[in-house]
Amino acid sequence: MREEEPKEDFSKKALSYSKFYGGKVVVAPKVPVRSLDDFSIWYTPGVAAVSRAIEADSDLSFEYTGRWNTVAVVTDGSRVLGLGDIGPEGALPVMEGKALIYNYLGGVNAIPLPTRVKNEEELIAFVRALEPSIGGVNLEDIESPKCFDVLDRLQAEMKIPVWHDDQQGTAGVTLSALYNALELTGRKLKGSKIVLFGAGAANIAAERLLVKAGADPKDIIMLDSKGILHPEREDIDQLSLRNKWKYEVAMRTNGDRVTGGLKEALRGADALVAAAGQGPELVKADEIRVMNRHAITFFMANPVPEMLPASARAAGAEIVATGRSDYPNQVNNSLLFPAIFRGALDVRAKTITDSMVIDAATELAAFAKEKGISRNYIIPTMVQWEVYPRVAAKVGQSAVKEGVARKRLSAKESLHAAMETIEHSRKVMSTLRGSGIILDPPE
Amino acid sequence: MEIRRATKDDLAAAADLIVRVKKLNNEFDPLFAVVADVRSRADKYLGSTLEASDKLLLVAVEGQKIVGMIRAEMRERLFYEPHREGFITEFYILPEYRRKALGNDMILKASAELKKMGAQIIVAEVPSQNEIANRFYAKRGFRGLLNVFGKNP
Repeated sequence: MREEEPKEDFSKKALSYSKFYGGKVVVAPKVPVRSLDDFSIWYTPGVAAVSRAIEADSDLSFEYTGRWNTVAVVTDGSRVLGLGDIGPEGALPVMEGKALIYNYLGGVNAIPLPTRVKNEEELIAFVRALEPSIGGVNLEDIESPKCFDVLDRLQAEMKIPVWHDDQQGTAGVTLSALYNALELTGRKLKGSKIVLFGAGAANIAAERLLVKAGADPKDIIMLDSKGILHPEREDIDQLSLRNKWKYEVAMRTNGDRVTGGLKEALRGADALVAAAGQGPELVKADEIRVMNRHAITFFMANPVPEMLPASARAAGAEIVATGRSDYPNQVNNSLLFPAIFRGALDVRAKTITDSMVIDAATELAAFAKEKGISRNYIIPTMVQWEVYPRVAAKVGQSAVKEGVARKRLSAKESLHAAMETIEHSRKVMSTLRGSGIILDPPE
Repeated sequence: MEIRRATKDDLAAAADLIVRVKKLNNEFDPLFAVVADVRSRADKYLGSTLEASDKLLLVAVEGQKIVGMIRAEMRERLFYEPHREGFITEFYILPEYRRKALGNDMILKASAELKKMGAQIIVAEVPSQNEIANRFYAKRGFRGLLNVFGKNP
């Protein structure tokens, strides 16, 4: 694994291949067309009977149509990757990529839907209006703090899962990696001092999930661009009006009332989760050095982590993780969201609760433990595809236990359903490539 | 929690709260942008408050920490009855100590002190756009008395 910046530039390939393929996902038939007579079944007049049945009971749409396995990947393009507000058209390639990952790793039919909206209300109205045709929503690349309110309101109003991957996905994989990192260093979540550097969507959600999973908020310190959050910070009133989520974190964390910057926050801390922006020197060696022994450090920024792993190790970090595939311990949302939705969709879940995400994170960690965790392996890699059906099954069962599943599957049924769908998806890919329908890119 | 008249030793902490409330007002209305030397002005302002017999400065104290303050002064309404006003000019509690009935207790204490000073009516002044303050006073039986309109010329 490399220890310095990557030498390959993927940008040229992305531009050339995107033009070659003209799109990453496609709508394909799922039913046979044996002759044109079949259209009388799939379309008019036969389809009227199906429509009438669904009109009498709208939940039948989950049984008689593809809705059950369809997720809309929605963005307004207001904060796309590290590019900022590039608008819906600019966001489309990213949403297509997301849809591809959903489909390949989770067997989910994901539809990229960037939308041009003027404000939060229009975005909420757009997503709400999609509900009858989909099984779930993945919100993506929406600027903070708008994204918090959008997620909260849609989750409250809709009867299908609404997921903001930048929040919940990142929080989930962070929790999963932290479980094993803490265990390796002889610690537990409760009682560990955790510093969250960056107060955007990822860490705001991480704080909430960590606390739900058992961390003590008084042992958590969060920082934004102005420094450590605490109840008497100079701008606390402004926060209460402009960003109630960050305000609530400021009010309930940091029991010792530490003030100052990152070095002060990290003094004696067990773990650092940095989701603060592009590195490689956003976090400095002397800041890592003041951490507790056997320090755990996650640097989540992509493509350039807040600190490079070699530098963190040299400064004394025992366990280092990033969001990149070319370093050990890739903490990547793609390990979670395809499986989360696979599990939720299989049971026709009405929502994705924090408990479902915690159960998913726990299963992800358990999988890695079975393989043998070490300082360079605290979380599964994406090539270990068997982890997806396992996590999916756990999520499905979690939904059943919480009473949010429309379809009550047993544990065995959940695993079988997830395995079958994900294996099918992989088979489709190999068949399409093998038959030349999907060509390899030109060199 | 103790609510008492401020002493000289309390002035620095109380001035800090004055600065916070002025900045909070700015959040509601750009026509209340705070001056650069707001802190030194707050220090002088409260210093002269303590020295005046027709002015009142109360602080809420938890342990050694000042968590809230209320400043008021007696005013004469030249043309109206009742003519002696106990006029609350600034009122602020740190966010951590809100929603715990402290605001209510401070208003009651201030009203009682102002009554002893001769107040026949208790009045509080807040920027019109400060919805939090508007709701706070409305809940406690206050109603609007005067509208002040402003614009950039």
